Amino acid sequence: MKVPWKWLNEYVELDWTPEEACERLTLAGVKVEELTYEKVDLSGVVSALVEDVSPHPSRPDLRVGLLSTGTGRFTVVSGAPGLLKGNMVLLAVPGSRLPGGMAVETKSVAGVESQGMVVCSNEILAGAEHRPGEDIILLPAGIPLGLAAQEIIDLDDWVMDLDLTVNYSHCLSILGVALEASVLSGKPLKLPSLLEKWDWAGPWGSRRPEDDPEMPGEWKIELADPDLCPRYVGKLVRGVRQTYSPPEIERRLMLAGMRPISAIVDATNYVMLETGQPLHAFDADKLEGRVIWARRAKRGEAIETLDGEERPLDEGMLVIADAHGPVAVAGVMGGARTEVSGETRNILLESAFFAPIPTRRASRKLRLRTEAALRFEKTLDPTAQPVAIERAAGLISEYTGGVPEPARSDANVMEPVNKSILFSTRVIKRALGAPISAGRCREIFESLRFAPGPVTKVGEWETMEVTVPPRRVDIEEEIDLCEEIARHHGYHNFEPRLLSPATPGGPPSREYVWSDKLKDFLVSMGGREVVTTSLLSQEDLNAMGWDAGDARGTPVPLQDPLSSNESVLRTSLLPGLLRVVFRNQSVRMPGGFFWETGRVFYPSAEELPLEALQLGLAMYGNLREASWVEGSLEATFYRLKGVVEALLRLMGLEASFLPGASMPFHPGISARVVAGHSTVGEIGEVHPLVMRNLNLTGRCATGWLSIEAILAMAKEKRFTPVSRFMQVERDIAVAVDAGVLAGDVIKVVEETARDLASVRVFDVYDKPPVPEGKKSLALRLTYRPSDRTLTEEDLSTDRDRIIDALRARVGGEIRL
Amino acid sequence: MDYLGDISIAHAKGGRRGKAVIPSETMRDQIDDLQRRVSKEIEEAGTLAELDEVRIKYLGKKGELTNLLKAVGSLPKEERPEFGAKVNSLREAIETGLREKSGYLDRKALDEKVRREVADVTLPGNLPEIGSLHPITKALREIVQIFYGMGFTVYESREAETDEMNFVKLNLAPGHPARDAQDTLYLTDTTLLRTHTSPGQIRGMLEMEGRLPVRFIVPGRVYRRDPFDASHSPVFHQVEGLVIDRHITFEDLKGCFLEFARGFFGPDTQIRLRPSYFPFTEPSAEIDVSCTICRGRGCQVCSRTGWLELSGAGMVHPRVIRNGGYDPEEVTGFAFGFGLDRAAMLKWGIDDLRVLFENDLRFLTQFEGL
Ligand SMILES: [Zn+2]
Repeated sequence: MKVPWKWLNEYVELDWTPEEACERLTLAGVKVEELTYEKVDLSGVVSALVEDVSPHPSRPDLRVGLLSTGTGRFTVVSGAPGLLKGNMVLLAVPGSRLPGGMAVETKSVAGVESQGMVVCSNEILAGAEHRPGEDIILLPAGIPLGLAAQEIIDLDDWVMDLDLTVNYSHCLSILGVALEASVLSGKPLKLPSLLEKWDWAGPWGSRRPEDDPEMPGEWKIELADPDLCPRYVGKLVRGVRQTYSPPEIERRLMLAGMRPISAIVDATNYVMLETGQPLHAFDADKLEGRVIWARRAKRGEAIETLDGEERPLDEGMLVIADAHGPVAVAGVMGGARTEVSGETRNILLESAFFAPIPTRRASRKLRLRTEAALRFEKTLDPTAQPVAIERAAGLISEYTGGVPEPARSDANVMEPVNKSILFSTRVIKRALGAPISAGRCREIFESLRFAPGPVTKVGEWETMEVTVPPRRVDIEEEIDLCEEIARHHGYHNFEPRLLSPATPGGPPSREYVWSDKLKDFLVSMGGREVVTTSLLSQEDLNAMGWDAGDARGTPVPLQDPLSSNESVLRTSLLPGLLRVVFRNQSVRMPGGFFWETGRVFYPSAEELPLEALQLGLAMYGNLREASWVEGSLEATFYRLKGVVEALLRLMGLEASFLPGASMPFHPGISARVVAGHSTVGEIGEVHPLVMRNLNLTGRCATGWLSIEAILAMAKEKRFTPVSRFMQVERDIAVAVDAGVLAGDVIKVVEETARDLASVRVFDVYDKPPVPEGKKSLALRLTYRPSDRTLTEEDLSTDRDRIIDALRARVGGEIRL
Repeated sequence: MDYLGDISIAHAKGGRRGKAVIPSETMRDQIDDLQRRVSKEIEEAGTLAELDEVRIKYLGKKGELTNLLKAVGSLPKEERPEFGAKVNSLREAIETGLREKSGYLDRKALDEKVRREVADVTLPGNLPEIGSLHPITKALREIVQIFYGMGFTVYESREAETDEMNFVKLNLAPGHPARDAQDTLYLTDTTLLRTHTSPGQIRGMLEMEGRLPVRFIVPGRVYRRDPFDASHSPVFHQVEGLVIDRHITFEDLKGCFLEFARGFFGPDTQIRLRPSYFPFTEPSAEIDVSCTICRGRGCQVCSRTGWLELSGAGMVHPRVIRNGGYDPEEVTGFAFGFGLDRAAMLKWGIDDLRVLFENDLRFLTQFEGL
């Protein structure tokens, strides 16, 4: 909503600067998004008297005028009807500039030299050619000669661009903003004479006895769907002629963001901007029959709108129709068939109340975000229709010479609204805290043109009955009145107060604390936390090798996605993480270790999808590049596994890694992470096929863990006494068949050895002298006896026992 | 250096006491001579090996001092104790001299070794892998800590929601124009991706089952039907705050948010509340914070206003209080909600929302740190 400063000041004379006004309005909730100074650059355009006019020697449609600016005389060729002897006009002398950079020169027009041009309003406002039938600007007599155009027509102005919240529909008009400014500044509201009758609460809302829906000999209005259109006011203006609005009016419309069209259309727009009530003008002679219907569109109906587009309608849309069919999409845009044109002689004005939701729906569906629709989408003042139509009829009459019919047609099924709300200072004390007196509240209500009743004392509180005018559709209950008090008292006038410290705060649960610890651990492992989108495409999932048989391939879809790239909810963090790998590979980063925690979603039998919290991990390339001290650290399956092992160990979890995980993992280089008899995650290298699908290069290790599962099993550590005896290490190397799992070998050792603290694999070797088809595992056993110092004999006995067990259980042959 | 200095004094005293006995005179000369030589040789020994030679020469089995001790046996009986004592104290003196010199040489060798060992301290150290939290998490942790200090806890609410929870319970009936401001991603006709963290208000209150006070924040992901650009994303993050108790007023809202803003953006931060509209609060406010870039003087980021829009807030609407299972006649409350991504961007001067979701390492590594 754009508010030209001078227009606003016509209704309330503010002693603020435009900047101050912006600040004050914004702090009262009428947010000014931007303040701009709009200037029309006219240099060398001055008032001039037509001293003489003679015919053009060769062109009957042109004439040659002799103009005086007081300091000079100019010969000008023009076809404008207003170029008549004795008229005062605006002359752009040679060398002057018009908006849009148009330069005026002396030039030959059909053989006669023309020194500059006499201008029309389109030329000085838009810098464009004169419009069909547009005459030059005629100035009132008595204006001094040679006066600059800016001195005559006030064109420069400040414009405040408002960004209003949906409850501020009462500020979708210059008058509404003027009222707010009047309340804030204490300056009186000055209304145009007609609008003065608008008492903001009163009888205009109801129908006058003389306003019959059936105008004698004219149109009958039928409210076929009163839920969509409960009120429709019509008024006939006869004998209009095509003309353009005065330049000042056109300029105001332009400053407010609207394009001037013709005096009739401009008048409807002007009144809409002024009062907030959208209006429409039909060419009355093009309406068929004598009944105006406000009805739902019929199946298959269409309308050619004013913009020349043929638009299909549906049964959810309200149309205005005559005997032939729709003539307007109600509240959105009029139709071309009944459009006001140069030939129009009689017009029918429309001023209606359309229901907001269907209007919004129609406007969105037709992609017609017109100024009218933007207003009807909000609930408007249900009483403004008559006053607005009278105001428009008056302006049209003034500009076009048309004669309004005295009566207007008013079909109205709306119940008269009488919003009377009991207001108590208790609500002020409870919600706002600050003591604002009943007297002050009453003052604010009065300045807002509400009607507060007398103040009554009830216990410790003071109450009053407040009647709220219908235009304030946002005010429904006491707490809404409280907000009016708060914003006019000024939010900045409330003192900040600290909450009582009596309540201890802190994390809600052990799981919350542990999930933070988990993040800290991953940071300490060199992991980079990432945040990726939860919205993926089906293709993203397919690229991971998840088909319809896989739960991860059948995501929760969005009903109406913005694009197919963001059309399903993620079932895993891995697609997002691998996209991060791709991103970093594509900008030539040598390697990285990424992780993310977040929700994944699965369809469920319940109303809402299942949400699960997951940890995702992915690494590629060099995690640390070689330095002069040591070699590079490569992202491998084993590196990732080490991180996961450490994580699980620090959480006190006993987990095992079983070979072979599903897609997107490499079947031979992946594992399921099993803890407490259930799979809590998977890790592995990315399957080469998936690498290809995602355009990834090199090798990449990835994995996921169910955070809920591991946090549920996480255990706090318990202290075990530290042995006083020294620990001893012994190595053992065992050759087993290549297919035997190291985990099984380690398990045998762990189960057999006594006083064993840990087993570490320090070498795996499968080349000669290790026989073909075998591999040798070198193990370091750390003994940590609790009650004695181990003797060589103890160790040798233990070793023999281990050797026997390895031979028996995994076919192991001792090599060392 | 005179390694046997104090022995010489002892000898001089003995000299004054002694009478002219020839054998003893000879003995005395021999002792003096030996003492002089040992002292000189210990002094001259430059290495531990040379020093060891000196030890063998005098103190070895066939060493000179050993021989001298043997010679004491041939002295007259009454003189033996005196000379025996002299020779023994000389021996002790030699041993001390050798030990001291050995200590000196050992230290000298160590010093020499240390002098040769020089590291180029300007060569880079052996850096461990360094990880980092995403700025969104980093910002959230700071925020959470500030609110813990004000007696808040955290409530985590679901992301897929019902229309009922996301809108209706928050006083946004179907067709409410404010629903448009939050272009919604629907899953079905009745379920959606939450457009704000506000449904957490209802769920959190219901879980509190009427207990007071209610003081929690709801951080989390929210979704809008917005295309991705420098300041919009279909997926972003919010932090919701809710306080319900007896005697909670607009002034508490102002104080609480000011405390948060100062904790998060710095102690000289100002806030400004402007009337606004949210169906679930009444009165409603938009909260601006003084520009983090220009500190309120006016710059490009704040459109020269000195203020940055940060949060929606207000007194919880009585209907919402009732929907949470509390009696609005008994309690009041305030709520606020702000963009976590935006807060992080303002804090660190990030000018494009998209970089938060691109996860380029050159971005992520900037948030290393404690
Ligand atoms: Zn700034």
